[in-house]
Amino acid sequence: MSVPHARGFLLLRRAGGVWGIASSDVEGMAVEDGGYRISAGGEAFFADSIVGVVADLRVHPPAPVLRRFWPETVAGLAVYERTPVVMVDPRYPPAILKLDD
Amino acid sequence: MPADAVDRGGDLSRRDGTHLLVRAGDHACALPLAQVRRVVRALTVHPLPGAAGELEGLAEFGGEPLPVLNLARLVNAPQGANPAYPVTVVVWVGPAEAREMIGLSADAALEVVHVPADSIVAGDGGFLQGEAPVGGEVVRVLNLDALGREA
Repeated sequence: MSVPHARGFLLLRRAGGVWGIASSDVEGMAVEDGGYRISAGGEAFFADSIVGVVADLRVHPPAPVLRRFWPETVAGLAVYERTPVVMVDPRYPPAILKLDD
Repeated sequence: MPADAVDRGGDLSRRDGTHLLVRAGDHACALPLAQVRRVVRALTVHPLPGAAGELEGLAEFGGEPLPVLNLARLVNAPQGANPAYPVTVVVWVGPAEAREMIGLSADAALEVVHVPADSIVAGDGGFLQGEAPVGGEVVRVLNLDALGREA
């Protein structure tokens, strides 16, 4: 899959949470080890499952309190179908999403 | 000064000291009522891998993402009895120009109390404003503004 100019966000599930990546950053996706290998922003990610692609999300800046208690860099926060979503900046992927080659 | 002006001043002073008392582990904590937006049955929280123990995770509240902190962990309270009706207290934290909404998970919401400023024995000068006697129990009086600004 290659969607360099796609609008919206790819939502995936990992470690019980829902994570979002801008579709424009997604370079590829393949089934791997019972989950999905996702290439985005030059990095490889692992997802337990794919939630879907949504055209639009209201993305909030990450709260300062969040940054204080969670060392990961995130692009923002959103809600999809009453579930919180952590928006990922592929340049700074959270450790739980990283797929080491 | 007219007498009613004095009365209004007294009311204002009393309002300033009004707190919501909540149970967090073995501790009772007083939260400034003016910064409490809502108390709801404990929200479903989605954990964030790698987060500090104080941060339970993210919840959804009113269609927006809400970081939820564990109040007992924040005040280093020993674990109490299993809560029968755990709650999430949705509060504003941080200075007025940069306030943010967060959730505080607590074991129970108890009552609204008045904590006179002169009854508070100073704490750490940060999140723990101090301790005060309320109804025969020493409660932790919390400064939610500090929670948002502490590094």
